[in-house]
Amino acid sequence: MTGVRIFIIGMGAVSPLGSGVAETRAALAAGRSHLGPLSLFETPDNTPLPVGQVRISLDRQPIPRTHQLARLAADQAMASCRVAPDAVVVGTTTGGMRTTEDLLKEGVVDPAAYRWHAAGSVAEDIADRVGCKGAVLTVSTACSSGAVALKLALAMLRTGKARRVLAGGVDSLCRLTYYGFNALKLIDPFGARPFDKDRRGMSVGEGAAMLMLVADDSHNAVAEFLGAGLSCDAYHPTAPHPEGRGAYAAMVSAIDDAGLTAADVDYINLHGTGTPDNDLAEARAVKRLFGDRPPPVSSFKGAAGHPLAAAGALGAVTVAICIDAQLIPANTGTCHPDPELRLNPVTRPLQAGLGTVLVNSFGFGGNNAAVVIGAPAAERQRADADVPRPMLVTSSACMTGAGTTDRTMTRLNAGESCKGVLRLDDISAILPAHRVRRLKCLPRMVMALAEDARTRSGTKDPPATIFFGTGWGALSETHAFLKGLYETGERFPSPTDFIGSVHNAPAGQVAMMFGTTGANVTTTGGDASFEQALIAAGYLGREEGRTTLVVGADEYHEPLSALFDPSVRADEIPSAGGAALLLNPDSTAAGVTVFPAFYARAAKDADFTATLVNSLGGPERIRARFGALLAGIPAAQRQTGVAQLEAFRASSGITLPVIDYRKLIGEFASASAVALFMAVTFTQTGTIPAPLCNGRSTRLADKGTLVMGFGNHVTAVEVLRR
Amino acid sequence: MKNPSGKSLMHTSLMEQLISELKVKIVDLLDLTNIQPEDIDADGPLIGGKLELDSIDVLEMVIMIEKDYGVRIENRELGEKVFANLAAMATYIADNTPGPLK
Repeated sequence: MTGVRIFIIGMGAVSPLGSGVAETRAALAAGRSHLGPLSLFETPDNTPLPVGQVRISLDRQPIPRTHQLARLAADQAMASCRVAPDAVVVGTTTGGMRTTEDLLKEGVVDPAAYRWHAAGSVAEDIADRVGCKGAVLTVSTACSSGAVALKLALAMLRTGKARRVLAGGVDSLCRLTYYGFNALKLIDPFGARPFDKDRRGMSVGEGAAMLMLVADDSHNAVAEFLGAGLSCDAYHPTAPHPEGRGAYAAMVSAIDDAGLTAADVDYINLHGTGTPDNDLAEARAVKRLFGDRPPPVSSFKGAAGHPLAAAGALGAVTVAICIDAQLIPANTGTCHPDPELRLNPVTRPLQAGLGTVLVNSFGFGGNNAAVVIGAPAAERQRADADVPRPMLVTSSACMTGAGTTDRTMTRLNAGESCKGVLRLDDISAILPAHRVRRLKCLPRMVMALAEDARTRSGTKDPPATIFFGTGWGALSETHAFLKGLYETGERFPSPTDFIGSVHNAPAGQVAMMFGTTGANVTTTGGDASFEQALIAAGYLGREEGRTTLVVGADEYHEPLSALFDPSVRADEIPSAGGAALLLNPDSTAAGVTVFPAFYARAAKDADFTATLVNSLGGPERIRARFGALLAGIPAAQRQTGVAQLEAFRASSGITLPVIDYRKLIGEFASASAVALFMAVTFTQTGTIPAPLCNGRSTRLADKGTLVMGFGNHVTAVEVLRR
Repeated sequence: MKNPSGKSLMHTSLMEQLISELKVKIVDLLDLTNIQPEDIDADGPLIGGKLELDSIDVLEMVIMIEKDYGVRIENRELGEKVFANLAAMATYIADNTPGPLK
């Protein structure tokens, strides 16, 4: 075997259990509950529910609570590492929400106050702090985010695309999650009691967990990261599949990815939130996989609450600690195991040697993940990894202010502006009314794009996996939830709006519409959100002979879009849109392919442009292979972006026609998805219409098109004919 | 339905009024764009029936009933009875609302 092995060499954890590995370890050994009444903000009638709140004092300024938790965990994980990571991958859902809620409540209209709102800003802050100059990626798949981030990091390390990755998850308590889960009637008023016969729900929590992962260097290794698996229920926006279908699939995939069998698992750190439905479904999935005598099991959520996006990463840190301490942690809070579940969780901490441990982490949208962590044993086999390669385009669709695919192309071919915002009914015109009944803007956009792409592919076969990139997520739902909350004195927010507010809700809707049960990953990170989705698809989207759906979309919301996105503010005409591509990462057939070749945060050093040019194969290859360049220069970063573009042109010596596409399709974070749709169309037809190239029709012949992004992120996606 | 509070003596017209009111609210609350309020059968099943309502709609109705009528529905078993049909929902609201029905 020549495959790469991945080791955990540093860990950080901040949760109600404590701050740092030592405190967490002591809390796990003691097995007490750390739940207590919420004190972070006032609640109506002063009757706070029990939560898993981090009780150390955190300064409110200048950055939001999520960022502060993440910084603490990242500092701990990096404490013994002198070398900066090549990449940072963070799973989070709340981002700056805790701060944004206060600002919106106070009616603050200064955009500067919202600069930390984006979920992606957490990973970027961490990257700055630890000196990471490579890829910075953010996964936002609700409560499985942390585990999905670990899976993505694992894939990057196995392919050798990174040697050191800092990965983890973080979420802070905020009104959105506290009142949201309460509106769903998923809270146990007495505190979470996972797998108890009297359990009534979960306790919302918070925390951060970060792991420093390295390839092939077991020096100072705490544990080995053996494998991970993803799946999607494609069943319901929030409720798990009753038989735990997706939970089972994720566990099977993770164990298989680790090159092991179920019999090798010594302990399972369960998702076990304490909700009646989750615990039942998870117990059924465990029984199905492990039979009537599963290994010892427990969930930490009766002790710490459910730290949402941090849960999977905290689970990974927890079990790494337990492997080292020869400890099986207790399923705190449970007095009477539910006989119906036929699953007896460990009721008090036990001393036991652990070789291989499975960690479960599930979330809204039916997003499931499982990871396998093992003792850093000397001998293990590792399979070779799939290196991302160009993905064959089988179909594509887009949407802009001009309308859906054909209307947009007609305007673009004439060189006319596609700026603007479509009416809700026009967005979802091709979708059955009952499917979109409760949905606001973004899920309709994403579903319509996906359906359009599928129709154009000429096949009914659903994609095997789904990847979705969005700069700002479902702003309409987020705003409606908070508005409803504040208007009713924080009593009656809408459960529907809460469900729809998570970034991955639209991708979950598509999974249900198509019955897509493979990996379902939503990424976010400003103007490069869609590129992140493409990168994730390259690593995680490959399924034998099957397609993957990659979507990028952003809505325009008044007033949030302008408050959050400086480029939206910089354009007089509000715009929204996106694109969907069905890609086959497994095919070697002839056709047009896309490949995310370069992704980095912009740096000022002189080497940066050279690295970019080299990553595209050098000046000669760029000139030989590409006939046009679609450049995305966000309005708010115009000056920097233009300078970067000029530096790239000078360094590569290209004289290609450059299409400044945001001037045509408008300012929205995932505009690059529409640009990629354009590039694919031009490369397929072999021509770029004259109005887009200073009046001279450009023949591409067999050359391709380069789609690049400039500004805070510099990205390059190759579109080639093969 | 038996009603110890005595509100069951309420005139039929008041109950009919409440049912009509709930029909309008439900169509609006749940975005039932293809359905006219008067088309809803007060005795027909709410969940999984012609209306195609699901558990998320139930949660929205739970919140609406608490917000607009001050009636709390605390557990799933009770919910199943209350949301069996519109008539059952109206009866439960009428029997448990703290103030007089408008």
